[in-house]
Amino acid sequence: MEGLFFNVNNGYIEGVVRGYRNSLLTGANYTNMTQCETIDDLKLQLGPSYGDFLGSLPPNPSTSSLAAKTTDKLVSEFRYVRANAVGALAKFMDYLTYGYMIDNVALLITGTLHERDTRELLDRCHPLGWFETMPVLCVATNIEELYNSVLIETPLAPYFKGSLSHQDLDELNIEIVRNTLYKNYLEDFYQFVNAHPEMTGTPTAEVMSEILEFEADRRAINITLNSFGTELSKADRKKLYPSFGMLYPEGTLMLSRADDFDGVRLAVEGVADYKTFFDAAGLGGGPGGPGNLAGGTGGAEGKSLEDMFYQKEMEISKNAFTRQFTFAIVYAWVKLREQEIRNITWIAECIAQNQKERISNYISVF
Amino acid sequence: MSGASDREAVFPTRQSLGLMKAKLKGAETGHSLLKRKSEALTKRFREITRRIDEAKRKMGRVMQIASLSLAEVTYAVGGNIGYQIQESAKAARFRVRTKQENVSGVLLPAFEAYQTEGNNDFAMTGLGKGGQQVQRCRETYARAVEALVELASLQTAFVILDEVIKVVNRRVNAIEHVIIPRTENTIKYINSELDELDREEFYRLKKVANKKLRDTAAADKEMKEKREARMAELAARGQENVEPEEYAEPRNILDAEVDEDVIF
Repeated sequence: MEGLFFNVNNGYIEGVVRGYRNSLLTGANYTNMTQCETIDDLKLQLGPSYGDFLGSLPPNPSTSSLAAKTTDKLVSEFRYVRANAVGALAKFMDYLTYGYMIDNVALLITGTLHERDTRELLDRCHPLGWFETMPVLCVATNIEELYNSVLIETPLAPYFKGSLSHQDLDELNIEIVRNTLYKNYLEDFYQFVNAHPEMTGTPTAEVMSEILEFEADRRAINITLNSFGTELSKADRKKLYPSFGMLYPEGTLMLSRADDFDGVRLAVEGVADYKTFFDAAGLGGGPGGPGNLAGGTGGAEGKSLEDMFYQKEMEISKNAFTRQFTFAIVYAWVKLREQEIRNITWIAECIAQNQKERISNYISVF
Repeated sequence: MSGASDREAVFPTRQSLGLMKAKLKGAETGHSLLKRKSEALTKRFREITRRIDEAKRKMGRVMQIASLSLAEVTYAVGGNIGYQIQESAKAARFRVRTKQENVSGVLLPAFEAYQTEGNNDFAMTGLGKGGQQVQRCRETYARAVEALVELASLQTAFVILDEVIKVVNRRVNAIEHVIIPRTENTIKYINSELDELDREEFYRLKKVANKKLRDTAAADKEMKEKREARMAELAARGQENVEPEEYAEPRNILDAEVDEDVIF
C-alpha cells in the first residue's frame, strides 16, 4: 500500500538519490586509487566523479583541502535533494542534519566558553549542520545568552530542554553535553521514523530503525570503551546511552557496569553481530588490548572495532538501497558518501606520507 | 718572527728570569691540561654528533608514525577535531625540565621531558567515536615530542661544545705557538744579557785589579825614592843622629846585630 502514492511526492528524489548512489566509487576505483603515486594521480582518478569540484584545486593539494572539496560535493548534492524534498521527506532530511548541527553547536559552545570570537568558528562548522539562525548564536557572549538563543533559534531546543541547563554547559565537559544531545537526537529520530503517519509501517520505518538501532548500539559501546580511564562515572555514562537499540535494555545495563574490555564483550554477547566483532577485535588487539586498535604503531594486524562498525554501517546502508519507496536511502546515501570521503582522505594521507602498507584500510562495499 | 723582537719587555734581571721560568713552566702545564680538555671535549662532541644523527633518524620515523596516527584520527572521527582539542587543553601534560651536565668544565644544558600524571584534559574527546584513536594519537605525538626534546638538548650541546672546542683549541694553539716560544725567547734573552753583564763585570774587575796593581807599584816606587832620598840626606848630614835609623826601619831586635857580650 505504501508504494501506491510514494512516487507522487518522492519519486523524483528517490530517482536522483539512486543516481547519486551509482556514482559512488567502486572497489575497482579504490584499487586504482591505491596504485597512485602522487595526489595529482589521485585527483585524476577521482576525475569522473569529483571532477567539477577538484578542478579548482592547485597541483598536489593538501589532503585536508581534498577532503573539503569532496565534502563540498556531498553538501551541494544534499542541498539539491533537500530543496526538492517535500512533506515528510523534507522533515526527514532536516532530521538528518541535526546530527551535524549538534556538532556545530558544541563547537560554538566551546568557543563561547573560552571566550573566543565565535564568528571565526562559523567557518569551521560542518556545512550540513548549517541552519539559518546559526550566525545569531555568535552574538551571544556568555553561556547563558548562548543557551537561551540555542533554545529559541535552533531545532535542537527539545534536546536541550529537560536534560541540560545553562549551568551544565558551563560545568560539564563539552563531550558529555555533545553526547547527551546526540542521545536525545537519536531517540527523537527513532521516535520520528516510527511514529510519523507517513512512515509507520513503511520500509522507511523498518530500515531506519535498523540503522538507528545500530547507531545507538555503536555509540553506547564506543562511549563505554572510550570512557575507561576517564573521570566519567558509571552513572553519568549510563545517561549517555540511547534508550533503544538491540542492546537495550539488558545490554546497556551491563555496559553501564562494565569496567574493561571484557566487561563490554560480555555485555554485547547477546547480539551475534557485535559478538563476532568483539571476538575478532579481541584476537587482533592481543590480550588486554582495548577494542579500537587500528594500530597507530603499525603493529596491529586486522581490523579495529571501529573499522568493523564502519563496515557494518556501510553494509546496512548498502542494503537500504534494496528497498523501494523509502526515505532511508537518503540517509544511507549520505552515510556512504561520508565513508567515501573518509576513504579518499585516508588514501590521500597514505600517499602523501608515503605509508603504502596500510593504504588498503579503507572500507568499500560496492 | 725574529727571536730578538718577539720577547716580552722585561729588564734582564735575575728576578725576571725567575719569573719567566715560572711562567714557562705554567704555560707548559696549562698547555697539556688544555690539550687534554680539548681532546675530552672533542670525544664528547663526536659522540653527540653520532647521537644527533641517530635522534634525527628516529625523529623522522616517529613523526611519520605520528602523522599517520593523526590521519587515522581524521578517518575515525570523520572530521577535524583540532579546535576541540585546542580548547579543551588547559594545562601542559608534557613538560620539560632542564638540568646541567658538566663535561670538562663546560656546562651543557640537558632537557629532560616528563609527563605530569593525571593531567588528561581531553580524555573525553571523541567519546562518541574515535576516542581510542585520539588517545593513541596523543601518545604517539608525546613520543614524537620526546624525541624532539632529546634532539633539542643534543643540538644545544652540539652548538655549545662547538663554541667551547673552538675557544680551547685557540688557547692551546696560542700557548703552543705564541706564549711558549715568546717566553723561551725572553729567557734566552735574559740569559744572554746576564752573561754579557757577567763578562762586563769580570772585565771591569780585572781592570780595577790592574789599576790597583799599578797604583801600588807606583806608590811603592815613590816610597822607595822618598826613603832613598832621606837616606842620602841622612848620610850627607853624617851620623849625628842615630835615631833616624829607627825612622828608616824598625830594628829587628832578634837578629840585627849580635849583641856585645856583657861581662860583669
